[in-house]
Amino acid sequence: MTKTIAYYPGCSLHGTSGEFDASFRASARALDLILEEIPGWECCGNTAAHSINRLLSVALPVNDLAKVEQDMRLDAVAVPCAACFSRFKAGAHEVAENPATAEDVRAVVGRRYGGGVEVQNLIDVYHDTVGLDELRSKVTRPFAGLKVASYYGCLLTRPPKVTLADDPEYPTHMDEVVEALGCERVEWNYKTDCCGASLALTEQGIVDDLVKQIVADARICGAEAIAVACPLCQVNLDGRQVEIARKDPSWRGVPVIFLSQLVGRALGLDDKALGLKKHLVDIQAVMA
Amino acid sequence: MTTCTPTPSLSRQVTAGCDENAYLCYQCKKCTSGCPVAGYADMHPAMIMRAVQLGQYDMIFDDRFIWLCTGCETCTTRCPQGIDIATIMDELKIMAREQGRIPPGTPSAAMLKLNYDSFVRWGRMWEVELIALDVLKRPTSAKNWFTLGPKMLLKGKVNPTLKRGDTMAMKRMVRTSESITRARAARAAAETSGGGAGGAS
Repeated sequence: MTKTIAYYPGCSLHGTSGEFDASFRASARALDLILEEIPGWECCGNTAAHSINRLLSVALPVNDLAKVEQDMRLDAVAVPCAACFSRFKAGAHEVAENPATAEDVRAVVGRRYGGGVEVQNLIDVYHDTVGLDELRSKVTRPFAGLKVASYYGCLLTRPPKVTLADDPEYPTHMDEVVEALGCERVEWNYKTDCCGASLALTEQGIVDDLVKQIVADARICGAEAIAVACPLCQVNLDGRQVEIARKDPSWRGVPVIFLSQLVGRALGLDDKALGLKKHLVDIQAVMA
Repeated sequence: MTTCTPTPSLSRQVTAGCDENAYLCYQCKKCTSGCPVAGYADMHPAMIMRAVQLGQYDMIFDDRFIWLCTGCETCTTRCPQGIDIATIMDELKIMAREQGRIPPGTPSAAMLKLNYDSFVRWGRMWEVELIALDVLKRPTSAKNWFTLGPKMLLKGKVNPTLKRGDTMAMKRMVRTSESITRARAARAAAETSGGGAGGAS
């Protein structure tokens, strides 16, 4: 059955993570899910707004949610970027829980948001909106037991009172999705550890330390690939391995692949539509 | 440890700004145990909480810890007292910036502002602009991109173009939010100045 939901790509999916946007759209089409991009959407404010202008950081995502609710008249929005997802959830939570903030936000946005939009991250879309049975039934080119470590990073699950994640310390919905594609789940330790996020622009040494721990643990636990659902996690885990390998020639890289690319590949979509040529750690061996 | 001048109203200011009460902290240090950047500065989350309780502005603002905080929310998630520690870090960043207390050696503080200015200017954040402006400001940072930058460009990983958002609406929201925040801060300051020394009630 065809479903229509609003779509908020966010700045990164229009910037350095075009393949995340392309593969998500392609996989949604193949799953009979119609994505309507929010017209004239604004930046969610990302990490910067909540450490500079708290009110704006709540108002920006709520403004986009009001567009979905009142202009598009849809009741759900897919927000595949984990950071945008977190800001959308936090904004909706703030106006629902705090009447004084809700009043200020109304003044900033210019209208009241009624709370009628469900905010979904990439995993929610596949796991709940599409559903595991439906997903399984559409898989035409299953993986032959590829061992995948599902990496959540920070903002898909934290803070749990806002995200309502299945388990903030050891979530498993992403594992269930990759299993539906014919992959084997890897139990590992760094599933919800931080990759360093935007410190990759200013404190590369710290990010390299964090990425090294995360990727090394995935490898030790048997992973042949790491699945991600966040553009910044992907850029950091994949890109920083180039730098780590330059300093340590014995480094064995682990490919870092968007969950939407794994889903698209299992649905039989072609590599070009999924943007499979943009990885820095070679993915040929695992996606062949 | 440096000598510090206690400023007892710090905790009140933090509470007024973000509605979180640092006095609930009993120093179990779960926040610090889970913090990905705790080892990279002199301070760490539990120490910051203690410093807020004791009004030790200088200790906090002279250290680079708050500017390394990635906002990963591990501290907030694990705090047994339910304190939203990451939000307190945000509030301290806001206070430090307002008071011109950003210490040297914290490029992340400037990066946050570049990021903010970018989406205020275009309605959307333009990643390439952030890196370009950062390199202009700190030419030494260019070396961080020598290996990775060309590889990302060759792979077509970087999209240099920008699609703007609704820039008029963005500017209006920024203006309104700033004026509401200023008015609230003025009211809170008037209330705090009447209270004298102490802390959150």
